[in-house]
Amino acid sequence: MNPALLLFIARRHLSSNFLRTCISVGGVAIGVCFMIMMSSLMTGFEGKFVKETIESSPHVTVFDDFRAGEDDFDHWADRAAGGPVEVEGGKPRSRIFRIKKPLEILDSVRRLEGIEAAAPNVVGSSILSFGAKETGSTMYGIDPEAQEAVVATDQYVQGGRMTDLYSSGGAVIVGSGVAERLGVKKGDTIGVSLRSGGTRSLKVVAILHTGVTTIDFSRSYVLVSLAQQVLGMGRDVNRIVMRLRDHTQAPEIAVRVEKLVGYRTESWQEANQNFLSIFVLQQAITYIVTSGIMIVAGFGILNILIMLVLEKYPEIAMMKSMGFTARDIALAFFIEGVAIGILGVLVGSSLGYYLTEFVGTLPIPQKGLVESEHLIMNNMPRNYYIAAAAAMLVTMVASVLPALRAGRMDPVETLRGHA
Amino acid sequence: MIAASPRPVLETRGLVRVLGEGDARNEILHGVDLAIPQGEFCAIMGPSGSGKSTLMYLLGALDRPSGGSVLIDGADTAKLDDDALAAVRNRKIGFIFQFHYLMPEFTALENVMMPLLKGGASSRQARARASALLGDLGLGDKLGRIPGRLSGGEQQRVAIARSLANEPLVILGDEPTGNLDTKNADRVFAVFEQLAREKRQTIVVVTHDPDMAARTDRILRIVDGRIVDDGPTKEVLERMG
Repeated sequence: MNPALLLFIARRHLSSNFLRTCISVGGVAIGVCFMIMMSSLMTGFEGKFVKETIESSPHVTVFDDFRAGEDDFDHWADRAAGGPVEVEGGKPRSRIFRIKKPLEILDSVRRLEGIEAAAPNVVGSSILSFGAKETGSTMYGIDPEAQEAVVATDQYVQGGRMTDLYSSGGAVIVGSGVAERLGVKKGDTIGVSLRSGGTRSLKVVAILHTGVTTIDFSRSYVLVSLAQQVLGMGRDVNRIVMRLRDHTQAPEIAVRVEKLVGYRTESWQEANQNFLSIFVLQQAITYIVTSGIMIVAGFGILNILIMLVLEKYPEIAMMKSMGFTARDIALAFFIEGVAIGILGVLVGSSLGYYLTEFVGTLPIPQKGLVESEHLIMNNMPRNYYIAAAAAMLVTMVASVLPALRAGRMDPVETLRGHA
Repeated sequence: MIAASPRPVLETRGLVRVLGEGDARNEILHGVDLAIPQGEFCAIMGPSGSGKSTLMYLLGALDRPSGGSVLIDGADTAKLDDDALAAVRNRKIGFIFQFHYLMPEFTALENVMMPLLKGGASSRQARARASALLGDLGLGDKLGRIPGRLSGGEQQRVAIARSLANEPLVILGDEPTGNLDTKNADRVFAVFEQLAREKRQTIVVVTHDPDMAARTDRILRIVDGRIVDDGPTKEVLERMG
């Protein structure tokens, strides 16, 4: 075996059959190119969603209720099984859940490792009105300074800051969608229905626009004390929100916090489970589709190499008569396949880079989960590694068969056929 | 001449070759015994389908016998694995075919360098040896041409140069002049005569052409897979009429 010689033969075969080489390299390149573009698109969208979610919602939230299984009648029913008492038609007691002693909880949570900041929230649905227009809104009672440390919201506030909520007794910041529905702008005074009856007027001090539609069309922010008044919560709160040093640790920390405080505690992953599982599915689809492209390219290589081998039978017979072994010949053709793969990856990666950049500039506005003027592309190295690995795997698999065939051919049969 | 006959370079004992199986079974060679000493220029003659080419592939270790044995330079090919046979072909055998089978993507020089490089020669050594060989065969000015730009005779001379590259003990030609005009065929045979005389290389050619066969030392006639006549060229030709 003489690698340099085999490489020399493979290289000459490829360069002499330039058109054929270009076609098979092109097949691989297109596969690589689209795989890169598609995964940039998919991970770009997912990345943007995750980033906005992490930025615009707390990493861990303590709720004012308990995990399932806390039904008031459960223990009755258990005892009743086969016993003298049976409970039928039991309804849950109407009870307003609250997080009691929020300041103590905040104190102890802030001392936990991995938690950067924590803030109290009073959250509830409210009805906002402006003249004859009314819309429902999820009202967030916050402490703007503490809240900002947990959720960076300031950057999304148009025409003001979150701390403007301190400015007057009845200040409110509404989501841009809410404002749109009501037809209000900064400076307008709107009404909010109190749980206890009656209304209270609020002054719109700023508009919030995050680009995440579900937030923009539902939220309004006021101070904690005002929300307590609107929702009739007394001095209690119903959420405690936290920011972590490392957002990926949220599930573990949520479990620890839940053990500590007793209330149901959710990580951002759990809260967005449905979206995240869609992304997993979406990625699977991407890879299935692009693998399809790659496999087609693989068949292209297989086809071209088989044709090449058949065409070169007389020469292969001659090479064998010169003392080349089956392994030498198989290896030479395998090198040709691998070289096609490598060239395809190189060409496809550069094409993929530019295609991805180009697609990212296309004016395709999106609304929905996230808002953007363009398709969001995540043109990152990992996409290239995956596409390159897939392309090399496919080309190697596609080259094995023709290479073995070339190696195993019987020179005598071929020579006899020609004589 | 030394009285004791030298050890044969090529020898077969009861050589049998069967192709196909079952109904398609076809015994091509039925027990061929022959011995060819070093330096002999030998022609194999016989009608089409008599087994000449099959015998040649067996003599060149390109094929394995169904029965009997082939000894190349004293080594029984049946006892060698595929890689060892490939090495024997590389070092001891030079093949020339009727259809020259040059590698079309490679220049004349590169084609001749192939067996040298395969045999482990450095690129520089191979280049020097290959250009000398091509020069000897009158192709010194066409080293850089690809086969498609050479005439049939020139291509066959490149193929001959290639077969000589590793200074093989044996040169096997399967109708090496079958595709050439008389002038070129003449030239090729002149090269063979010279190699046998001056370099003591053993040359075995399959040929149909009695004029060409007349220039060899010995003729083996094969009919239906058996040697029917074997002797000095003159005698065999006389017997053939």
